This record gives sequence, structure tokens and C-alpha cells, in this order.
Amino acid sequence: MKLLVCLKQILDPDVPARDFQIDPAAKAARRGGANLVTNIFCENAVETALQFREAATGEVKITALCYGESSAEDCLRKAMAMTVDEACLVERDGNTNPDAAAVGRVLAAAIRRLEQDGGPFDAVLVGRESGDWGVGQTGGLLAEELGRPALGFVESLQPGNGGVTLRRQTDVGIEVAEAEPPFLVTITNNEDNVPRIPKTRDVMMSYRKPLQKLSLADLELDSEEIRTGSSIFEVEEIFIPADEVECELAEGDTLEERVDQLAKRIHEVVASIG
Amino acid sequence: MFRVGGTVPLMDPTQATREVFWNIEYTWLVYVLMVPTLAVFGWGFWLKIRRWRAGQPAIRFDRPAERLQLFLRNAVGQGRTIKRRYAGVFHTLVYTGFIVLFLATTVVAIHHDTPLHIMKGHFYLIFQSLIVDIFGLFVLVGVALAAIRRWISKPKLLVYTDEASWILVTIFVMALTGFMIEGWRIAVTDDPWAAWSPIGNLFALASDPLMSDAAMQTGHVAIWWFHLVVAFGWIAWVPFSKMSHVFTAPLNIFTANLDGYGGSLKTIDFEAAERFGINHLGDFTWKDLLDFDACTECGRCTDVCPANTVGKSLSPRDIILDLQGLMHKRGDEFLGAVDGDGGNGSGELLPIIDQKTAVSPEALFACTTCAACMEACPVHIEQMPKIVDARRYLVMEEADFPEGMMDMMNSLESRQHPFAGTQFSRVDWTEGLDIDVMAEMDDPHEAEVLMWVGCGGALVERNRNTVRATAKLLQKAGVKFAILGREESCTGDPARRVGNEFLFEMLAKGNVETMQRYGVRKVVTSCPHCFNSFRNEYPHFGGRYEVYHHTQFLDQLLESGRLDGHDAADGSNGSSTITFHDPCYLGRHNGEYEAPRNLLAKVGGARQVEMQRSRNTSFCCGGGGGMAFVDEPPDQRVNQERAQEAVDTGADVVAVGCPFCATMLDDGVNARRGDREVKVKDVAELLWDAVGEPGQAAP
Repeated sequence: MKLLVCLKQILDPDVPARDFQIDPAAKAARRGGANLVTNIFCENAVETALQFREAATGEVKITALCYGESSAEDCLRKAMAMTVDEACLVERDGNTNPDAAAVGRVLAAAIRRLEQDGGPFDAVLVGRESGDWGVGQTGGLLAEELGRPALGFVESLQPGNGGVTLRRQTDVGIEVAEAEPPFLVTITNNEDNVPRIPKTRDVMMSYRKPLQKLSLADLELDSEEIRTGSSIFEVEEIFIPADEVECELAEGDTLEERVDQLAKRIHEVVASIG
Repeated sequence: MFRVGGTVPLMDPTQATREVFWNIEYTWLVYVLMVPTLAVFGWGFWLKIRRWRAGQPAIRFDRPAERLQLFLRNAVGQGRTIKRRYAGVFHTLVYTGFIVLFLATTVVAIHHDTPLHIMKGHFYLIFQSLIVDIFGLFVLVGVALAAIRRWISKPKLLVYTDEASWILVTIFVMALTGFMIEGWRIAVTDDPWAAWSPIGNLFALASDPLMSDAAMQTGHVAIWWFHLVVAFGWIAWVPFSKMSHVFTAPLNIFTANLDGYGGSLKTIDFEAAERFGINHLGDFTWKDLLDFDACTECGRCTDVCPANTVGKSLSPRDIILDLQGLMHKRGDEFLGAVDGDGGNGSGELLPIIDQKTAVSPEALFACTTCAACMEACPVHIEQMPKIVDARRYLVMEEADFPEGMMDMMNSLESRQHPFAGTQFSRVDWTEGLDIDVMAEMDDPHEAEVLMWVGCGGALVERNRNTVRATAKLLQKAGVKFAILGREESCTGDPARRVGNEFLFEMLAKGNVETMQRYGVRKVVTSCPHCFNSFRNEYPHFGGRYEVYHHTQFLDQLLESGRLDGHDAADGSNGSSTITFHDPCYLGRHNGEYEAPRNLLAKVGGARQVEMQRSRNTSFCCGGGGGMAFVDEPPDQRVNQERAQEAVDTGADVVAVGCPFCATMLDDGVNARRGDREVKVKDVAELLWDAVGEPGQAAP
């Protein structure tokens, strides 16, 4: 079987609050002194794929694909250190537009190119959402571009009767599904797909493994078109929400009075919000 | 003059001597028996040496003068053994007794078997009779004291084996039978010099009324041969028992690590290494293997181990003894390649981790790398580096380690600091202080010194006060300093102690490169872990600096008058009694105990008290070795054990000199102080409180 995992490099979501800055003109976050990391749900997806490979009886090959700046090579190297077999970087040319539809188009083109060379992928794994924009659309839009069925919020893939058994989180519990390849899933986290720490030798080896690089031109995509994005998604404004706290103390001489006062005010506030 | 029994006339003491084989026939048998005895003895040690030689190379015969000094102090002089009073006393009695009795036997041999008849006259009377008798008594008393400890008081630190008991019994029997045969000889021969052998004579006087001369003569022959057989048997047994420490311990002390505990971890050649870290006995150096054979089972390492004290499964003593056991009993399987053969035949070496509970990952990952075990060991065994070696295997080959350490390492990898989720950047603490950042200076060389802030200083709220106080003191003294700001990365200490040598090396190389760019020569840091890395570990990566812990640097500023000492003495930091907690990586690892105490002494008003365990026997705060990032079970917290000790001194301020100690003890003291007001403060904070201008109290 062949699995493909999509990775995204993002600004470290753990960047200290006062280090986080925004460039209003570019409608994007400024990197400043912050680090770049692999989006956590993408790492969960890598871990899920690796666990599938470990559970499968036949040969399973995992490819990692990333659309990002050259710095995103680090994410792919880390995935290879986690023992992903192959990696491919589609180079992003400074475009900060987060348009998920455009990203989906790029990824779909890259996947088709990789499939041309190496045969079809049975499953495509995409992180549930990214820690920077949190749009959560890329998986679905990519499935649309590829014309493959998709399932969201999957937490594990296990080899099943001729296909793949999926477990997905829903509001009411875990749903177990059997899937016939090819398909796409978006991966969410659970306690079992915490990304592994690579062994040191694998880290060293990851720098010796080849890493395929493709440009938008290689994929016959118009870079300007991708930069402008689709018409279904546009960033209008980006700002840091002001954190306003109004503090009011419930008054009264006794505890009962204060509790009454508090309850009254809660009613009033709730009513005012409507 | 000396007369016994009144039958012998006064004699010339210059002619005093005794017959060597009095009452003994077939004396040739002694020499015949000596051959197998020495053969077994030699074979036993040859086996040991052969096993050690299966280890990896280590340079431990360099710097002979320093080694000799250490040898004289701690092997000949028993410098560390005598630190525990009871054991020190009985060991000294037995040890000195053994040496004197050995010399006495040598004298007999020379006298009898060579033309040099030295055993006569005053030398015979004073040394061979009186002194030997006294030291023989030492052995009896020493063994008796040891027996009382082993069989009656039974302290937890000992290992209770039959072997250890038999050693006491046989030594006692040898000494006692020695006195018996001496006594009967004196009694039967009416030895005119009897009084020079007081213990033997006592035995003679006691036997005389009870036994006939013939009975004593028969008893003498029987006991004489019994004494000989026991002694020869014992000698043959030495290399196979812990008594081999008579030879292995002095050798181990001579070949000890001379670079201090702070520089005791090995580096790894990642390109060449077959395995990272150690999971096979044969991957240890010969010196590590010698360590196993040098152990005397005294248990002091485990007794002082912070993790063991709070009830965790780590026991440095058992690590050493269990590995020793594997090496002795199944050496070929575990060591492999002894004399070039392939170990257990399959060519595969057996793993040591998890073979025994002592070397389970759980135990190994409880170590704070505080080096208390190494400091306590009378024979200089290096327990802690072996624990780190095994951790390296687990971390780098198996990627198997506790969760807290995983988060820490993830953060080190992606953010170059271990504090995932911190709300601070590396420069937030400088707000309002006007501090130069090297990257923003026109000429970074203008900075006299680099103030290395450390992650623990910049990114942990509680410690930002410490680095602010340090910076303000430097400013007040007119020191031209700068920081690296956002270009500073973790030195890699937590990664290295946890066992991720690869990550440590990457971080170290990065920092060396940054510091090279700015021509850094002098470094001041308030983190002893960073201090240790710079001082002992960075030179390996080409980073050579003059390194100061902030307490050392501030002490120098006071000494040289750059900081006004009067200010300090007149000022008050509002505390009445201070106790200083020695950080392991400043004290034990780097030998600095005075600078922080000097500083505190110069701070006005407060009295200094010491905790029970201080200076080189200081008890870890629990934060070293990556343990600051691990959630300890509530009933097994090292920091609370230490905090209790600090609180028990009655001090109202616990002074610290390390950001990890500060947070660990803050938590511990809050849990243990009860209703009392006890604060944990860095020495720099206390100094600033005392010398800072009015209205400039540390923020």
C-alpha cells in the first residue's frame, strides 16, 4: 500500500504572546523571533501512517508532501527521521495567502505528479486543521480536487478486511468505518498518535535521504493565480483581539446577599446579550 | 626489666629474636601449599584483568603526579573512607592491621629464607613483637566493630551477603589463631621477651594454669597449620570476593577521573560509533569495568542518592553490583569478544538494560546527575556517567524516555529552550534596564563580558528577578556587558544529562559559533548548568572562555571594590537568618563553595546557618538531570526532602544560586514551611536588596 501524508510548516503556536506580531498590510503574522514547527495535527497524521505501516502485514510505503517555503524542508526531514520513506517539497514563493482552495489545488497537482511517477496512493492523510489559521478546509478541498471520498476527524487507520478500518471521532462517540482505497482522511489527535521522537540514527539518516523538490511551474500551475487565491476565500483583515476584562464585585453584607446579587447580575448580563 | 615466670635470667635485648618454625615439622609443606595458593590468586586476578581488557580504551594513566597525590590521599590515606566515622574507624583498624601484619610476615620470610637475619634485637622487640601485637589487636577490634554493624545494628546501606559475613569470620579467625599460636609458643618456651608481645602473652598467661606444656604444644601445631590453611585459602579467595578491593580499589583511585564530576561525560563520535550510548558491558571502557570490580559494597552511594532517599528505585550501589554480577557470572555473554571470541556464540551481545531492576529504565531515569554518589564513594567509582551512558542508549537508540523529558526535548529541538509554553521571550526581562544586545551593538567587542542569561533565567517568571538583579549589580559596578538576546540557545545541558548527546552537540556547536562571531572571551552566568557546560564541555567543541558563575563574578566585584562593600554591609535584605543551598553543578561538579557564602557574609545583617547536608555533601534540589521537567509522584519528591532540611534550619531565607534550584525549592518550601514565612532567593537578589539604591529594589 502507499500512503501520502501532507505536512504544513507553521509559526510556533507556543510563541510567547508578546512576541506575536502582525503585519496588517500583508495581512499576515510576522515571524520575528518565533520558531517554525510542523503543525501538530500533521505530525499526528505522520504518526498515524507509521502505526498503520507497523500494523500492516504487507509492504507499506509512506510519502510526506509539503507545500511551503524552503525552511519547510526541516518538517520533511523530521518526518523522514520518524521513518517516512520519501519526501517531496513543493516550493512556495513567499505567498502568504492561506486560501485553502488554492493550497488544495497545489497539493492535488503534486499528488498527481507523484502518482504519475510512482503509482497511485491508496490513502491521503491530512491534518485536521493547522495551528496558525485553523481554517480546517484543506483536507476537504483537496479531496474535491482529487475526486476521492473523504472522511474527517479520523484518529486511527488499521489494516481491515481487504481495506482499511478507520476510527473517527464524532460528537456522540467513536465511529468505526471500513474504507476501500483510494480515499482521503483528515487526522485528529488522540492519546495514541502522539508523534514519536525519532531515534538519533534515523535523524542522522534523514539528512542523507533524497528530498524531491518541485516548483509551481513544474506542476504547470500559474504562480500568480495561486497567489491571488480562489474566489471562495479572502482575508479581509487580521488583528490581535483586544483582551478587555471588566471586573465587577458582587456586593452585600452577608454571603447570601452577595450570592443573590451575583445571580441577579448574571441574569441581567445574559438578558442583555440576548 | 621484663621477666615472665621468673625462670629466665636477664638477657641482652640486642640478641632478642625467636625461632621461626618453632614446634613445626614438615615446614617444606608451607612452600608446597604456597604454590597452588599463589596460582589461584594469580589466576583470579588474571581473569579480572582479562575482563577489563575487553572494555573500550580510556586514558587513565596520564598526569602521574596528580594521580599519585590522589592515590596517597584516598588510597593510602583513606581520605574518603574515614569520612563516615564508625566505618572509618573500623576500616582503618583492619586496614592498618593488615598492612603491619603483612610487613611482619615479610620480615619473617626475609629472616628465614634469605641470609638477612633481620628479625632480632630492638627491631624484633619493638616492631615484630610489640607493634605487630598492637595492630593484630586492631584487626580483632576492627572486625568486631564491623560485625556489630553487620549483625546487630544492620544499617540499610549495606549489602547482606554470606560472603561479607565469611570475610569477617575468616579475618577474625586468622587474627585470633595468630595470637593463640604466639601465646602457646611464649608459654611453652618461657619466652624471655614475652612482655613485648602483650596480647600473645596475655593468652600465654591465661593458658598456663589450664593446660600442660604438652597440650599447648599439640594445640600449637594444630592451630598453626589451621591458621596457615585459613590464611592461604583466604589469599586464594581474595580475587573472587569483594576482598579483591584491597588491590582493585587502590588501582581504581589511581586511575580515577581527574577532571571533576562536571567533566565526566564522554563525547560520542557520531560518524564512527556503532551504537550510541551503552547497553552492553563491552561498550564500557576498561575503567568502567574496573569500577565494577573496585566496589566494596559499602553502600554510601545509595545512602546519599536523592532519588533513593525519597523512595525511588534508583540505587547506584545496585547498578554497580548488578553489572559486576553480570560481568563475573556471564561475562562472555555480556562482554563478548573476550580474547576475540564472539560472546555467546551468536555474535550478539546481551543487553544490560532491564536485565536487573537496578538497570531498568525507570531507575535510570530517576537520576538527577547530582554526583553525590561519586563524591561519597571511597574508591572513586563513577556511577553517574554510567547512568547517563545507559540513558543515551535508551534515548538515542530506543527513543524510550519519560514523557516530561520528551516535551522538554521537543521544545529544545524546535525552540532551543526546554520550557515549552513559556509566556516570555528571551529579552522580556530586560524591560526598562537598557541592556546591550550583541547583535545590535556597533562593536560587540566593546563588551567586557557576555552575560549568559540562560533559559531558566529568562523564560521562567520566578527567575527573571535573579537575572535582573545580576544585570543591575553589573551595571552598578560599571561592568561593560552585553547579552546575546534572541540569539542565545540552551547550552544543551538538559539534553546531555537526559542522554540526548546528539541534541546537546547540535546546541553546543550552534552556541560556540554564535559566540565566536562576537569574539566572546569572558562569560558570566547565573545558571550553574550553563556554567558547567561552558567550563567543562564546550572546550571540546572549540569554545574556550573564561567562565564565571555570577556569585564568583559578583564576589570579585566586591573584593576589587568595583561594587561598594560598605553598601553591602550597611544594607539589609530584610532577612535575619540565611541558609545557602549548594547547587550540585556549582559545588560538587565544579568545586565552588566559597563565593556564594562570601557574598552572603558581606550582605549586612543576616546570620548564615548551614544545612545538615551542605557543601560537597549537599543534597540535590531534585531538578538536575532533566528531572525538573518530570512530574514526580507526590510522595517521592526530592525537592520537598531538601526543602524540609532547609526549613528545619530555622532560616527565613533559603539562598540559592541556580534557576532550577530556585523553582524546585520554591515549590518545596511552600509545601513544607507551614505557617512560617520562608523565602527562596537567589544570592544576587539578596545582594541587590542590600546594595540597590533606594527605590531601586529588585522588581
